Amino acid sequence: MFWYKGWLETRFRFCFALGFTVFFLGSAYAYGLKTTAALHVVIGTATVLVAMFCGQLAGAGIATQPAVQATAGLHGSTLFTLSLPVSRLHLLAVRASLGWLQVAGGIALYCGGMWVLFPIVRDTASGAEMLEYAGVLIGCASGLLFISVLLATFLDDLWRMYGTMMAFGALWWASKRVAMPDSVNVFRAMGEGSPLVAHSIPWAALGVSAGLAAVLFLVSLKIVQQREY
Amino acid sequence: MNDLIIETTGLTKAYKGHAALRGLDLRVPRGSIFGFLGRNGAGKTTTIKTLMGLLRADSGTARVFGIPVTEGSASLGDSCIEVRRRIGFVTEDKELYPYMTVRQILRFLRPLFPKWRDELERRYLEMFELPLDRKIPNLSKGMRSKLMLLLAISRGAELLILDEPTDGLDPAATEDVLRELVDIAASEGTTMFFSSHQLAEVELIADHIGIIDQGRMVASGSLDEMKAQYQRLQVVFEETVQAPARWVDGVENVRQMGRVISILASRNVDAIVEQARSLPGATVERFPVTLKEIFMEHVRGN
Repeated sequence: MFWYKGWLETRFRFCFALGFTVFFLGSAYAYGLKTTAALHVVIGTATVLVAMFCGQLAGAGIATQPAVQATAGLHGSTLFTLSLPVSRLHLLAVRASLGWLQVAGGIALYCGGMWVLFPIVRDTASGAEMLEYAGVLIGCASGLLFISVLLATFLDDLWRMYGTMMAFGALWWASKRVAMPDSVNVFRAMGEGSPLVAHSIPWAALGVSAGLAAVLFLVSLKIVQQREY
Repeated sequence: MNDLIIETTGLTKAYKGHAALRGLDLRVPRGSIFGFLGRNGAGKTTTIKTLMGLLRADSGTARVFGIPVTEGSASLGDSCIEVRRRIGFVTEDKELYPYMTVRQILRFLRPLFPKWRDELERRYLEMFELPLDRKIPNLSKGMRSKLMLLLAISRGAELLILDEPTDGLDPAATEDVLRELVDIAASEGTTMFFSSHQLAEVELIADHIGIIDQGRMVASGSLDEMKAQYQRLQVVFEETVQAPARWVDGVENVRQMGRVISILASRNVDAIVEQARSLPGATVERFPVTLKEIFMEHVRGN
């Protein structure tokens, strides 16, 4: 039933994310996506779209509980949630998984739209490469999503979104400034290193993202299991 | 079978150096309606959160249904899942999910509690006149209190923990709710542990009382025994006199207003009456005390 609760909690922001994806695709259509160079610009910009999904759709299921009364304090209905007969691991896992699925849904809409709307995409990549691109975006988004999940363990929704955007900005800046192999750069893997552009799967970046997601999940779990709300 | 449904021994809890609980000893008999009283900041909500496994005690032990809720778990509260399944809880702030309707929160909670009572849900939905399709933020505070009570009662809980359950209710609704709580306790054998600032309400329905002050239990026991133990003596003199400097052991409080001395006695009442009568021109009357007087006596001056 926590899936049901999570869905009710997030359905409007999920719909907003889908709506924004349609707007993004519409803008690309209006822009006239007909050249490879233009396609690469759209693919690079899609990295921001995916980051926005992660910032918007992540949650930890505990601290980000909205309140009915504005005066009720930071955690709103958190006390009610924690009084239910369920472990904090369950709360965290369900909410984080739901966020992950919604991010995957947004990415699927984006990739599907790109494939259907733009012949240039079909001309430059095979269907398998498009699927690989979607998989890479979902894989790379996982690491970013769990940054937001971690922040959701101790920040309310508004500050979590601000915090997530700042963290993503700092990571993006670091990815440009800090010397590291291109192969492990998660942002690059979603753009110029993606299967649509590089025609290969960035396994190293996917590994980094998966490792980051796993570590952040464990840290988040430790926090929610130890924290007194 | 242990006849205590809640038992804490030497429970302590501090927040950033401020002691909220200082060796709390609490015993709640199974089947009782236990009024948990204390001033603001006395430690009531901290106690309740600790019993629910939401806070980690610094020391001491707490058992609910005989299950330890303060020990043996690195993960806060996970040892209390079984305990929470058997408890109906009304939070002090009455906060529920603002994105749900009444129908949706019922649908959400039902599967979490295997002993969910559909007939109680229907009964209280009707009695409290709760609109199923209204969003929770669009309910009045009183209706939210009623909804929380419905959600707590319908769980088929063995223990109801109610933090200010009648907060926000009008007098008529308060009376309805109190009557229902007594009915449930009587018909289902449900134990009720509730905190309230409304001493008159507590006195109306509670059969056991615990008074907490500055994190310690300062009085606890059967309300009838407590009220039998305490008496107020009114000593009226023919003319203004100086009250004795020393009274027999058992005098808790003495107040003088002109020719009248009012004494709150906790024991040795007969000896105190005898002493008062021995004063020149004194007539003595005994009065039963109210819960408010007992409460004030225990928290005054601390």
